[in-house]
Amino acid sequence: MDRRTFVKAGCIGSASLLMQGLDPMIRAESAPTAVPPVELRGLVDYKPSPLGMPGLFPARVIEIREANAIVRNRVSQPVVGRMLERAMKELTGERSAREAWAKFIQPSDVVGIKINPSGAPACCSSPEIVREIISSVQSLGVPARNIVVYDRYSYEIDLASYQALLPAGIRIVGIQEAFASGGGYESNVYCEANFFGEWETRSYMANIVVREVNKIINVPTMKDHSASGVTGALKNLAYGTFNNVARTHRAPYSFTNPLIGMMCTVEPLRSKSVLHIMDGMRQVWHGGPLTQVQDFIDQPGILLVATDPVAMDTIELEAIEKTRRERGAPSLWQHDSKSITADNDEFHRDASKNLFYRQPGHIAAAGHLGLGIAELKQIDHRVLSV
Amino acid sequence: MMRETGNSKAVEDWPTLLKDNARSGGQKPFPAPSPEGAVWQFRAGGSVRSAPILKDGNLYVTSVAGALHAIDVVTGTAKWKFQAGSQVHSTPSLFRDQILFGCDDGKVYAVNRHDGTKLWEVPTGAEVWASPVIRNGVVFFGSADTRVYAVDAASGERRWVQELGGRIYSTIYATERQLYLGCGDGKVYCLDSASGKALWSAATGNGIDSSPAVVDDLVLIGSEDFFFYAISANAGEVRWKYETGLGIASSPAVWNDLTFFGSKDGFLYALETQTGKLRWKTRVGDVVTAPPMVGDGVVFIQAGGTFALDTSNGKILWRAGLAGAIQSVPVLAGETIYLASLSGEIYALR
Repeated sequence: MDRRTFVKAGCIGSASLLMQGLDPMIRAESAPTAVPPVELRGLVDYKPSPLGMPGLFPARVIEIREANAIVRNRVSQPVVGRMLERAMKELTGERSAREAWAKFIQPSDVVGIKINPSGAPACCSSPEIVREIISSVQSLGVPARNIVVYDRYSYEIDLASYQALLPAGIRIVGIQEAFASGGGYESNVYCEANFFGEWETRSYMANIVVREVNKIINVPTMKDHSASGVTGALKNLAYGTFNNVARTHRAPYSFTNPLIGMMCTVEPLRSKSVLHIMDGMRQVWHGGPLTQVQDFIDQPGILLVATDPVAMDTIELEAIEKTRRERGAPSLWQHDSKSITADNDEFHRDASKNLFYRQPGHIAAAGHLGLGIAELKQIDHRVLSV
Repeated sequence: MMRETGNSKAVEDWPTLLKDNARSGGQKPFPAPSPEGAVWQFRAGGSVRSAPILKDGNLYVTSVAGALHAIDVVTGTAKWKFQAGSQVHSTPSLFRDQILFGCDDGKVYAVNRHDGTKLWEVPTGAEVWASPVIRNGVVFFGSADTRVYAVDAASGERRWVQELGGRIYSTIYATERQLYLGCGDGKVYCLDSASGKALWSAATGNGIDSSPAVVDDLVLIGSEDFFFYAISANAGEVRWKYETGLGIASSPAVWNDLTFFGSKDGFLYALETQTGKLRWKTRVGDVVTAPPMVGDGVVFIQAGGTFALDTSNGKILWRAGLAGAIQSVPVLAGETIYLASLSGEIYALR
């Protein structure tokens, strides 16, 4: 039986309404057309897991800060190791790190670690944090061959030198070589919509997510994003798992809201994504996701840990908004046409400029799709130090 | 100079990474003027993450589509193509009539350079991205399985295997008796080339994927800890180190008293080889991971485009907007420059 997951009439309608309702600053010129019908097709007969988003601890976000975690732009693995252990115990309420990790990972699992290398080398998932995650997963009895560090573009993985920096035996996989190359995607699991009249209207889910791994540990970075407002747990999963996603932006417009959240609802991505560890060693507050301009990259030494990606991204959004206020940059919610530029160089020089009307409302929209909690007052945000 | 480069009698030959095993990257007078246009363009059918090599009018190029191409440099057309078992990131090397390269299927292949037939293959436990280096009839290479291999160049028969502490992506520098390489465990190793036994190791602060050059008892190599190191080739002591803004994957090229390398901070650096003192640095892009290549008074680097800089002051002489491959190296042959691109095009520029 073909069990397509149609969201045309239901969720999409809701998401469209949400986008209008949750983005009070949005202006008519930022939404040239209504969100088109979107068809989501998940894996047939896939049984959802209780570990799936929002996971075991909805609304809970553990934030841990340590100034010594990053010194002169170098991440200290011993320090982040201690931070991760402390945060995992706090998230789960377990007394030992091993018990905490065992809430999510079993020895028989094939574990995917979804890194974010876009923006490498200036800001990407720190190899030091990834090494600590690998070590924790291996401590549960998962063999190296059953751990896969992956992302969409192999050349971006290469830029960060993950190959040389991660332990031997684990697999490091770039789903595709470059933007134009194909392969590595599941033809029966996709998201279909025609946003701007593009010739290819489907985005397919990566095989590695559909077929190879059964648990995903998501390791996003803390960055603003010229189209989606921020790129955090949700976007790292959605736009790092499906192909052909750049078509959702056409400057200055973007349909990242609601598409990011919608993609995260598709099975098996939703069920397999059991834990999110946000690397906030560096925080990109303008120029994301690809900037290499150090003036826009702070080094706060933060780690966020959660099972709820919506709550996590809400905290990230608040943090980046705070930094932008402090630096005199306009809010990520601002939709003033005077801020829009088509000049990429100007965007990378001037924090008051942007290429798109940003869509941070994608986080709340994902919350309304059931992926987590976006309301700040409802988030159990615990701030710790080592 | 310590060189074994196969049959490199012709001036235009370019038989291994950075032209020869001394990582000289040329050292002949090359034309400084900007090329005026493309003579031909060849599509490799997959992204090129390695550097081409040149021999007797044939350009040999590997691609991540898993192919080794032999291209006629006059016409830009394919002479033959060899299909390996998986993606190829390794820059090929030439030894007599063999083209040698590593593959993501864990094998190193030896292919007849005249007709593209396989001569032998040798397996390892993981991908081989480093370029095989040949000295005294022995092929040396490291694998991501953490081991260094020595095999007979004629037969592929294994001589010895030495396990190190991390993944290996660094191309070995081979002298008469020693091998030098960096490792993912952050150490620079010196191995005895006859046995593979580790003679010394020197620790850096993070993993290494840069490949070393050796000049006047100095092993020159960058690390992902942001530092560039000069280490005593005999004793493994750090003589000096120089800090850049980000990690260093670029391998150095040495010319006269200067050492050139790129950093992921986007700069090309020129240091005095003996002291580590900065002579100049020039921003050439957002990120530099490719090795520079230096000729007579001109240093070339691929960083989003191809740049030619004056070795004396770092001034950019020209820039070609082609060949976005950030890990490849241009090949200079007379008046022609051969470039490989990330999108899989090979260009002959003149």
